[in-house]
Amino acid sequence: MTAEELKRKFTGWVFDEIDLDITSESLVGFATACGETLPKFTDPTDPDFQGVPNYLTRIHGTRALPEDFPVEMHRCFDAGKSVEFHAPVRPGDRIHGTSEIADIYEKSGRTGSMLFIVHRMNFFDQRKTHLATVDWRLVQREFDA
Amino acid sequence: MILDLHSHSIASDDGRAKVENYCQWIERKGLPLDGFVLTEHRQFDDASDYRALEDRFGLLILKASEVETEYGHVLVFGVNDDLRAAFDFARIDNPIAMVLAESERCGAVAVPCHPGRPKVGMCAHWETRGPVEGVRIVETLNGGSREGENEIAERYAEEHGWSRIGGSDSHIVSHIGRCATRFEEDVRDIDGLVRALRGGRFDAVRPEID
Repeated sequence: MTAEELKRKFTGWVFDEIDLDITSESLVGFATACGETLPKFTDPTDPDFQGVPNYLTRIHGTRALPEDFPVEMHRCFDAGKSVEFHAPVRPGDRIHGTSEIADIYEKSGRTGSMLFIVHRMNFFDQRKTHLATVDWRLVQREFDA
Repeated sequence: MILDLHSHSIASDDGRAKVENYCQWIERKGLPLDGFVLTEHRQFDDASDYRALEDRFGLLILKASEVETEYGHVLVFGVNDDLRAAFDFARIDNPIAMVLAESERCGAVAVPCHPGRPKVGMCAHWETRGPVEGVRIVETLNGGSREGENEIAERYAEEHGWSRIGGSDSHIVSHIGRCATRFEEDVRDIDGLVRALRGGRFDAVRPEID
């Protein structure tokens, strides 16, 4: 299947959903691991206490890819994540996350052709506030349709 | 006039530099650059408008593209509607002969970049697939090249009588201007750049060394 065919078949629909509860301990732990020192990110008693803007990048769904997605995982590597921050995460929030394939494309590099799969998670709180969009890029090396 | 003819901003999927930050870096470091060309991967960034940054920093900021062919990557200067209709910039297997010919037909200039690089450079493919007609200019100084890659490009340029450009291939701010192109005449816009490239009075340089 070509990249264009994969894109047509697998992009634009939600293939996984998760719910989870946010705790102060989790927010502080992630902020501390990031080296953050601002009290609003590290001190639960701070009146504006919240998660660091990239907090939700730590959350994964139950599936990396849709069922039946033809990928050879032994030739794949993680090409990183980017996050678009919309609103803060607070302790006590109940987060709803949805997963979809946002894009599939090819590029060629020093090591040959590669297939890029962009797994997008959108996160919302219990008030339906859109908190963040996280794009995770998975790359399959030597992609040959 | 010195222009970095090969750079990527966050508009490219692997670019980490904002255009404003390139400008700030050039100013802060006092780099001897008069401007740079954004050559985003597999696309032409039609939407961005950098005129305010040009005025603020006194730099020329032009837009081009880096497309992909079966012979490796090719910079295209002077992208217009005709050229964008001629082939799919997003593909990684465009025929290089077609890219060169269509660029010529549409008034643009196509330049194989980092030609000495394995897989994505023209020279290795030249050896295995055969010569390419229509090459006039190659990038002999690429700021992202590994040892020996620019030398291969230079050898091919020498053997075939091609003109030479330089570009940093920067994806992060601090790499802008590592390699560039010196023009004998002033370039004020993309049409002027295309004219200058067709005129042939330019050379690849390392601005901080040369």
